[in-house]
Amino acid sequence: MSSSTNDKLVLALPKGRILGEVMPLVRHAGIEPEAAFDDESSRQLRFTTNHDNIDIIRVRSFDVATFVAFGAAHIGVCGNDVLMEFDYPEIYAPLDMNIGHCRISVAEPAGMVGGDDPAKWSSIRVATKYPGITAKYFAARGVQAECIKLNGAMELAPSLGLCRRIVDLVSSGATMKANGLVEIEVLAEITSRLAINRAAWKTRSAEINGWIARFSDAVEAFRKAA
Amino acid sequence: MIKGCGINVISPFLVYFFSVLKCPDYTAPKAQVMNETNDNSNKADKALLPAGMSDVLPPEAAFEATISEQLMTQFGAFGFDRVKPPLLEFEQNLLRGPGLAMSEQTFRLMDPVSQRMMGLRADMTPQVSRIASTRLTNAPRPLRLSYAGQILRIKGTQLRAERQFGQVGVELIGANTPLADTEIILLATGALTALGIMNMSVDLCLPTLVPALCDDMDLSGEDRIALRDALDRKDAADLASLADTIGQDNVTIFAKLLAATGPAEDALASLDSLNLEGSAKIECGALLSIVSAISEQAPELPLTLDLIENRGWEYHTGVTFTFFTRGGRGELGTGGRYITSEQEHATGLTLFMDTVLRAIPKRPTVTRLFMPANTPKDTSRKLRDVGWVTVHGLEETSDDKAEARRLNCTHIYEHGGASPLAHMK
Repeated sequence: MSSSTNDKLVLALPKGRILGEVMPLVRHAGIEPEAAFDDESSRQLRFTTNHDNIDIIRVRSFDVATFVAFGAAHIGVCGNDVLMEFDYPEIYAPLDMNIGHCRISVAEPAGMVGGDDPAKWSSIRVATKYPGITAKYFAARGVQAECIKLNGAMELAPSLGLCRRIVDLVSSGATMKANGLVEIEVLAEITSRLAINRAAWKTRSAEINGWIARFSDAVEAFRKAA
Repeated sequence: MIKGCGINVISPFLVYFFSVLKCPDYTAPKAQVMNETNDNSNKADKALLPAGMSDVLPPEAAFEATISEQLMTQFGAFGFDRVKPPLLEFEQNLLRGPGLAMSEQTFRLMDPVSQRMMGLRADMTPQVSRIASTRLTNAPRPLRLSYAGQILRIKGTQLRAERQFGQVGVELIGANTPLADTEIILLATGALTALGIMNMSVDLCLPTLVPALCDDMDLSGEDRIALRDALDRKDAADLASLADTIGQDNVTIFAKLLAATGPAEDALASLDSLNLEGSAKIECGALLSIVSAISEQAPELPLTLDLIENRGWEYHTGVTFTFFTRGGRGELGTGGRYITSEQEHATGLTLFMDTVLRAIPKRPTVTRLFMPANTPKDTSRKLRDVGWVTVHGLEETSDDKAEARRLNCTHIYEHGGASPLAHMK
């Protein structure tokens, strides 16, 4: 157990769309990653920052939650869709970052809407990236959901006969519309959250509380500016 | 045909057992599997254990036993007397009182003798508490008991995939003073420090505070569930969204408690600023006494407070505590106040051997002395008397040193003494 790797605070950030929204907040909180972080061609996965004791890792949004849950990263940023899906007891989410706004919804083909009485369902088949959320949501209504796990392009599933309904993230609704789907129910509103590993918060609480406060200030500053 | 015998012995039992469960469709795939394992090609299949089970090998198995004994010795030195409950109990008793929380984690099996359902212990605290309320009901209070044993759970958790692991702990029954909680906390940190575990911290929780606040605020059952959900995840956004149902003022109080998670002095200052009244204030009394007693007796021990944590504390009725070590994964142990099935006030502590063993920085170096065949037995006895571990060669070899290395020995007996072997390749 080398103390140097253990003592560094690791911040996990999500790749892709959200990263562009997260970085202004990270920089406002006073964390500046090394140059390679912004270099598209770099294959590096772990980056040093202007703070000796903070490193940044860049991973898929779903993996942010996993890294944080196991304490491999101490702080992370990910959507509450991911947090809800895994419902890891080792993650706390003390701050809404007010970015990555969207919602998680049930959608079905436009032709089905109206001719279908959800009260009569006993089981349904749903294509989704979120089998956990979906099963829980329908179970709470007394419906057993058979989830088909897809990692993307959920909107294709109904038109190709894989299943009739999907549960997916919706931001503008344009993709759904283009594929002839109608959003019929919102399961939850989604934003990105600051995720903290439980044990890290307990054992390095002063340090972690300091960072929560700085991120909180950053979120507040951007809220005012908006 | 030993194999055949084995099957014949087992199958009537299976038939009996499953007929009890009214499951006549169950045929005997077991027998087929056993025949297949006759084949040497199925070595991997033989090695495979059920999820969450593992064989502990040398030297780790001996190390675990040593550490467990060291902890028990420390507990014994503070007057905690050892008890040894059985692995199996009647479900009805095992899951009573503090045991109820482990219901979902308890393996059950039918006792063919009494025809009653039995549970395999998933936690030892309920057993020790039962002993205190039954067989030791006349023993003088406060009663100090200690225990060490293996427990079995239906599911591993995210951080602990093991379904079987060791618990070592103490219970202090029949005392309702913060001094008892302080004694238990410092007993644990002292014992863990003695094992060489460093950078420890203790997290204190008060799982009764939120329910007391909810009572004072007159919240409905539904609101409490939504609140619990948000607080369990320390989800500030979720909590803020409850303002419509439980009121902005109440949300602000919980938000402050959430933000107070952290070093004890900061948390207490912010708790103080809330000026809590009623039952919530009473709940905080014991916590304040414990914090000040620990800061006085062990000023260097980092204390953190978490005033809203509830998960894992379902049967607790007062201050609870969790032992962490910096950089370690998960908890070394947990404990806290509860009420026994006979309504006695009690507090206790359980250390989890898997996390404790992982947190111990140094493993002892093992030295083994090879005694070539025909070394007089008396010689090796004398060496064992002064602390050597001796391994006897059973037959003469042409190269004793090579034989010693092959048997993982670090030393060899030659020229009338023990000489170290050069490092193995």
